Amino acid sequence: MGKEKIQKIAITGGKGGTGKSTFSVLLANKLVKLGHKVALVDVDVECPNDYLLLNQKLKKKIGFTYAKFPKIDKRKCRKCGLCVKSCKSNAIFQAPGQYPIFLPELCSGCGVCWLTCPYGAIKPREVKTGEIFINQVNNNLWLITGLAKAGLEETGPVVAQVKKIVLNFAEKMNIDMILFDTAAGTHCPVIQALINVDFAYAVTEPTPMGAYDLGLLLELSQKLKIRTKVILNKANLGNKKFIEKIVNKYKVKIASAIPYDKNLAKAYSNGQLLDLDYDFRINGEKFFYEKKV
Amino acid sequence: MGKNFFMKKKFKIAIASGKGGVGKSMLSSSLAILFSKKYKVVAVDADVDAPNLAIWLNEISRWDKIEKFSVSSKPVFDYKKCNGCGKCVDVCQFNALKMVSGKPHLDSFTCEGCGACENVCPRNAIKLKPVNGAKIKIKDTKYGFSLISGELIPGETGSGKIISKIKGIAEGYDYEIMIIDSSPGTGCPVIASLQGVDFVILITEPTPSAFSDLKRVLKVVNYFKLPWGLIINKKDINNALGNRINKWAKGNVLGSISYDQNIFKAIADFQPILETDLIAKQEIKTIFNNLLLKI
Repeated sequence: MGKEKIQKIAITGGKGGTGKSTFSVLLANKLVKLGHKVALVDVDVECPNDYLLLNQKLKKKIGFTYAKFPKIDKRKCRKCGLCVKSCKSNAIFQAPGQYPIFLPELCSGCGVCWLTCPYGAIKPREVKTGEIFINQVNNNLWLITGLAKAGLEETGPVVAQVKKIVLNFAEKMNIDMILFDTAAGTHCPVIQALINVDFAYAVTEPTPMGAYDLGLLLELSQKLKIRTKVILNKANLGNKKFIEKIVNKYKVKIASAIPYDKNLAKAYSNGQLLDLDYDFRINGEKFFYEKKV
Repeated sequence: MGKNFFMKKKFKIAIASGKGGVGKSMLSSSLAILFSKKYKVVAVDADVDAPNLAIWLNEISRWDKIEKFSVSSKPVFDYKKCNGCGKCVDVCQFNALKMVSGKPHLDSFTCEGCGACENVCPRNAIKLKPVNGAKIKIKDTKYGFSLISGELIPGETGSGKIISKIKGIAEGYDYEIMIIDSSPGTGCPVIASLQGVDFVILITEPTPSAFSDLKRVLKVVNYFKLPWGLIINKKDINNALGNRINKWAKGNVLGSISYDQNIFKAIADFQPILETDLIAKQEIKTIFNNLLLKI
């Protein structure tokens, strides 16, 4: 191959609203200015916002995500109830003597019911679970947005499928940096976003809530063996000691502190973040991207 | 109006937003305190992968009860029985299984614990074993109501099931009003939080991101055909958009809260908003009164 490995960076953090998307956009911009070809991938598929911060519209699609959901053939069903017992998501309901009812809002699409049915009365039916959009923001920056169908229960597989398509795209386009902007929390869509990345930035804020959720996130990233550094956003508000305690406990570093800044907030609101050139470095601490990994 | 809450013995309110960090837990904690002055309350922290309600109530010192329990199972392989047929790998809808030198291997972070592999194995070489993936924390707060908080252990799956479980526990309490603080997003934990509630309070802020996420979560609320009210937090950071959201929400707006950097300071000092002198305190009380008229 002889090609340089594509760097995959996740931007995550635990608590919601700490500035993951803002930081993702600023970082993408910085990397482009440093000469990289960058794909910013919004894998907060339940509530993607990067396109709004970049003043883009979700129009052009480069793919879909799919899952299989059960469909019942009433002619074959004998109302035995085995499917109801097999379902670990409690997504199948059956009143006595009636046909089973499938509750899509609880269904994960795992397939146990159609594997279980002794009469072949349940068949998988492929359903679109999400869309993948692309925007070329400038010569060296692409935005790829995963958007799950509203009300979809299981969004982890949507993230996994978006990542796969992005990797193909990045190889085709000679992109050397991929940024994954994740959802809040530590549940399935976040786990899927973090799997196989080279390192992660955890964006947090100096409040006890930010610190608590950061702790949970760092526990996850350590289990997944992902090197992680902390970005302290709104650094001049609240109290830094909450974050320092967590950072010491998990032996990670604060890579950068970003003060709350009215101009930044304004640019955020108006979709003009790309006009800002932020220097994130503090204490001479190097960013991951500045080292050859 | 008004008859729902006052006719029902037990009334459940969920707080949701789509976007994170717009004020769900601040509002949930405040409403729980305000309701508790007149009614029997139970509070549920259903933001199980970032639970912060206890912090907002300044109830972090010690839980009365912490219990670990299982919300999902993971397959365990008996490689002596396994003949390496690979059926389990083919059947896994989540790509959590891979053949490694002729035997299936599990990526436990991707596994949903559904049991499809166990089901399909012709040699009975796979057994699902329960995993302790969750913690339930319970505390009688100084406000006289109980807080039931769920916590997903990082790396585990099953947030929706934890929420169903803690809502079930809360149901066992003698309450008149249950406050459920949900997580950001629209997926499984939010769906589990909204299921079976009587009213949803949505909270947003006047930014394009928050407004967009609000519309997304409203689709889920409408799917369940739930009545809802809206609160616009930090309304003054962008009054123009704030007014637009106000108009968009028609008669559903319960009130707004002003942006105030001092809220950050209050949080850092573990001071519940209702115990401060901030403007937000009065605004939340107004919202509470509007809410009583609406439910």
